[in-house]
Amino acid sequence: MTDIVLRADGLAKTFHLGFFRKRVEAVKEATFDVRRGEVFGYLGPNGSGKTTTLKMLMGLVFPSRGRAEVLGRSVPNREAKRRLGYLPESPYFYEYLSPEEFLDLVGSLFDVPRRERRLRADRLIGRVGLDHARGRPLRKFSKGMLQRIGIAQALMGDPELVVLDEPMTGLDPIGRKEIRDLMLELRREGRTVLYSTHILPDVEMTCDRVAMIFAGRIRNVGPLSELLTARLLSTEVCLRHNVGRIPPLPDGAQLRQTPDGMMVDLPEGSDVDAFLKAALASSANIISVTPRRESLEDLFVREAASDGSNRGAA
Amino acid sequence: MNRIGAIAWNTFREAVRNKILYSLLFFAVLIILSALAIGSLTLHEEIRTIRDVGLFGIDIFGVIIAIFVGVNLLYKELDLKTVYTILPKPLWRWEFVLGKWLGMLLTLAVQMAVMGLVLGIILALEGASFDAPMGKAVWLLFINVTLVTSIAVFFSSFSSPFLSGFFALGCFVVGRSVPDIRALGEKMSPSGKSALNFICSLIPNLHLFYPSGAIVGAEEVSVHRQFVGADYIVSATAYGVTYSVVVLILAMLIFRKRDFV
Repeated sequence: MTDIVLRADGLAKTFHLGFFRKRVEAVKEATFDVRRGEVFGYLGPNGSGKTTTLKMLMGLVFPSRGRAEVLGRSVPNREAKRRLGYLPESPYFYEYLSPEEFLDLVGSLFDVPRRERRLRADRLIGRVGLDHARGRPLRKFSKGMLQRIGIAQALMGDPELVVLDEPMTGLDPIGRKEIRDLMLELRREGRTVLYSTHILPDVEMTCDRVAMIFAGRIRNVGPLSELLTARLLSTEVCLRHNVGRIPPLPDGAQLRQTPDGMMVDLPEGSDVDAFLKAALASSANIISVTPRRESLEDLFVREAASDGSNRGAA
Repeated sequence: MNRIGAIAWNTFREAVRNKILYSLLFFAVLIILSALAIGSLTLHEEIRTIRDVGLFGIDIFGVIIAIFVGVNLLYKELDLKTVYTILPKPLWRWEFVLGKWLGMLLTLAVQMAVMGLVLGIILALEGASFDAPMGKAVWLLFINVTLVTSIAVFFSSFSSPFLSGFFALGCFVVGRSVPDIRALGEKMSPSGKSALNFICSLIPNLHLFYPSGAIVGAEEVSVHRQFVGADYIVSATAYGVTYSVVVLILAMLIFRKRDFV
């Protein structure tokens, strides 16, 4: 049987805001589970309910309905928290502390002995690349540096499960790559990673499984290979046109000029072989032929559009 | 206990690195030092004036600091969102509130010790000593700020710093006037008097912590002559601590149910 480390079962949260207690359903229904040792992506456009779901799982917000279990215990549970590391969205820390002081405080909350706290803090500061800023107060840290110390504090308790809320937000491409590498490294160490994001290329590079949430409701859960349809959507043919005439285009094909020649997009069901023969006959050089299958972005946009909440796609 | 201690120590460290508190402490010391100048204007009453003005400075600045820091104690954690990082750690919410409160008391204890030390030095310069009545008076003022801090934390567990400060200050003013309010009740009808007495029993009786010049038992007590005995100190301390604990438990219960959105 697969070892489940986190389970959300019909989680929902309704807030009552303002003087007139206006009802806002932040999360309507979230059901998914995270399995031991995987990197799990929690995807959704801005405002879809990702952060509220994670806050319910972390015990920061009480669900209106449904139930959550982390590491085999109902949320909130202190024993489960001992084995859990969490990085909130756009993290804020005690700005008057240095990284060493802050990690020491976090270690104390995990009841880590003083000597071990120092060793772990020292190791983690090096691991997230903040050796040069050990003595600097956190108020002088850039956003990227804060994100790094945030990840270090999430690992201070030596957790089995690491939950990261939008860990890539505000990072430059190098920072994003480092966080991606770190997540894969955590998986290699046998830890489980759950992270929320709307940056899809990162998900394709790191996640074993994903869940998608749109307007507070989970739409898809599973491995990317299962969620993305295997069927061919179109075929892109890149031609360097030398002499002669443009080969006849099949019905529905689209042609656009490129610096090297032209790009022909053949729709699903087109006779690609016949088109290539015609192209060769008209003295065109064929540079590339690329079959295009559904990407995560296509799926995301499709789901967002069908939900009517396509504003935040990708 | 280690976790509560860590939160308390961090709260104290935050206060130590807060420049506004140093400014308040500076003004408190200035008031105490001004006792020297005011004392020199009196005829043979220098020591008495220094004691009175010094205790007034410790009292009023202790309360200002207690309200200022107390109302921000929990609100700041929510406003700066540091609570999102701390509460998912293996820590109960009540442990967090208790740790913050203890850190605040440590801060106030150090601040009052500094103010008491300055007053002691001034008295020594004038040839007097920081005697037992003064020690008892400063201890009672510390219990007073402990209670005011608890009230400020209680209000800050569900309202903004401005409102919390307003309510806490109101409690302080009314709490100090409990004997006057009771005296007012003497002039009312029996039912009015009962109602007023009931209200007075709910309001913290902060007058207990500033007894100099009041009638305790059958005698007037004063830090200059016969001050309160040990039994009074023990019962006033027990009252202050019990009231603080009850108010703090209410704050914990409210904090326990909050959504941190």
